[in-house]
Amino acid sequence: MALLEVRGLVKRFLGVTAVDQVDLAVEPGELVSLIGPNGSGKTTLFNCVTGYLAADHGRVLFRGRDLTHVAPHRVARLGVARTFQQVSVFPRLSALENLLVFLQQHQEEHTLARLIRTPRLRRLEVEAVERARRLLDLVGLTDKADAAAGSLSYGQRKLLAFAAALMPDPDLLLLDEPAAAVNPTMINQMKSHILALHRQGKTVLLVEHNMEVVMDISQRVVVLDHGQKIAEGSPDAIRRDARVIEAYFGR
Amino acid sequence: MRRASALAFVVMVVAAPWLVAAAVPRQQRYVLHVLIFTVLFAALALSYDLVVGHVGSLSLAHPAFFGVGAYAAAILATRARWPFLADLLAAVLAAAVVAALVGVPLFRLTEHAFAVGTLGLALVASIVANNWVEVTRGPLCITGIPKPVLGLPGGPTLAVTTLPGYYWLALAALAAVVLLYRRLTTFRLGRAFHAVRDNEPLAGAAGIDPLKYRLLAFTIGAALAGGVGALYVHYLSVMCPEEMTVALTVNLLVIVFLGGVGSLRGVLVGAVLFTALPEVLRLAPTWRLVIYGGLLLLVVVRSPEGIESLLRRASGARAGR
Ligand SMILES: Nc1ncnc2c1ncn2[C@@H]1O[C@H](COP(=O)(O)OP(=O)(O)OP(=O)(O)O)[C@@H](O)[C@H]1O
Ligand SMILES: [Mg+2]
Repeated sequence: MALLEVRGLVKRFLGVTAVDQVDLAVEPGELVSLIGPNGSGKTTLFNCVTGYLAADHGRVLFRGRDLTHVAPHRVARLGVARTFQQVSVFPRLSALENLLVFLQQHQEEHTLARLIRTPRLRRLEVEAVERARRLLDLVGLTDKADAAAGSLSYGQRKLLAFAAALMPDPDLLLLDEPAAAVNPTMINQMKSHILALHRQGKTVLLVEHNMEVVMDISQRVVVLDHGQKIAEGSPDAIRRDARVIEAYFGR
Repeated sequence: MRRASALAFVVMVVAAPWLVAAAVPRQQRYVLHVLIFTVLFAALALSYDLVVGHVGSLSLAHPAFFGVGAYAAAILATRARWPFLADLLAAVLAAAVVAALVGVPLFRLTEHAFAVGTLGLALVASIVANNWVEVTRGPLCITGIPKPVLGLPGGPTLAVTTLPGYYWLALAALAAVVLLYRRLTTFRLGRAFHAVRDNEPLAGAAGIDPLKYRLLAFTIGAALAGGVGALYVHYLSVMCPEEMTVALTVNLLVIVFLGGVGSLRGVLVGAVLFTALPEVLRLAPTWRLVIYGGLLLLVVVRSPEGIESLLRRASGARAGR
């Protein structure tokens, strides 16, 4: 069974059909890229999958479970993590706290237990801090742990948001342009982080404009244009696809 | 060193009635009265800051919750002759229930509509207090609210009849509010509150239900405001509709925003300055409002983030940062 399955998804905004009858399946452990010109509906598709937008038609299934009318926080707790195209952090929390927030809600606990701070919770918190520090090390933000996230550079915030998405060890990771608007060194860093996740067996759906990154690391590429899926296949096949070339260069 | 000075501060606050008696024996009653008001306002402002400071929802409904608690306590204590602790508990619960009920539809509104909606609630509550004469006695006020008697049925009791006694009771309540405030605004709960306040969509991606945490802060804030309302009417022994007008919101906004929104120390400093100061300024009646207004302007201009940010800068400078 596919881990994520999108069937006949339609999303309209006042006349614009942002996502038009899209079918998409991602198998466990796959690394799939979703590409397409600006405004082709990639982010809208992410928003429909993660509960930020309600689709007009069609269904989204995660492990066979219908996500169509599930709120974002519930989708997250089911094991679907996402990043935002507009880099998004909690600016007044420290980098470390930004990561901690992303794990705590996955550890079911009563509000009263949080108020009392039960021994179990304190233990979980210590483990969470350890995990957060490991992830900060991974993305090279070790010495920024206590800095307010809002004070970090654009690239650093991007890395922080990426690390935050990894915090709960999600089963499916949706990344919206992780390599956009950062310097070449950081693009390579991102690339190797994503590849490493893939090798660990994580399932990744990647939206990215950087073709080098997409073609290098994806197993499969899905192409959207004007909200419609116009092609799907291996990176090599996509590179040679006439409709894709037309969509990107033909106007 | 810091612990020592903190301890000295606490001792001074607790010993205030004696210090006042020694320092200004002739104005003792008046000064104690101001101190009691300050302590009650500090507790009320902290309860308000849970909502505006920590989940970032600009509620203007706080006087309604204060009023619900105040009237619940006043009515139960006078007509049903409930003991103090029972009517205090009822006041807390009544305010919490009202907040939970109105909170669900209110939080569906967008930010600005939420502020207007809560303002509407405060106005409606005030109109009800004025006009539901059978229950509230309207402008005639509920009078003869007894002084608090501490203790449980059957056990020993302690009547709080003196001003110092009342000061200590209010101080105990403030201490309880401070403890709860700290528990709520740090560690996992605090982090969830702040995540919702700072970036709601991202909070959702982190698995946080924004509505749940907004409602939680709103309801607990209201419950505490209801409790302060009960303490307030037992102190004054009367409850009138004027106690819960929009003027109260203005006072709270001044205390919280000029003190330091989202900061325990800032709100406490704000409460002391902006409750005690207007009283002290009574000594210069003609210039009172001018001085007060001028001071507000000065803080707003010099330190838009409140006095707390000034304090932080000062202590940062001392530490050589
Ligand atoms: N909230 C919204 N309200 C109205 N229209 C929207 C909204 N979000 C997206 N759109 C429109 O839907 C279409 C698809 O937008 P979307 O952001 O999904 O594209 P995208 O593929 O992510 O583009 P990009 O590569 O520039 O990020 C665009 O025409 C956009 O203007
Ligand atoms: Mg996009």
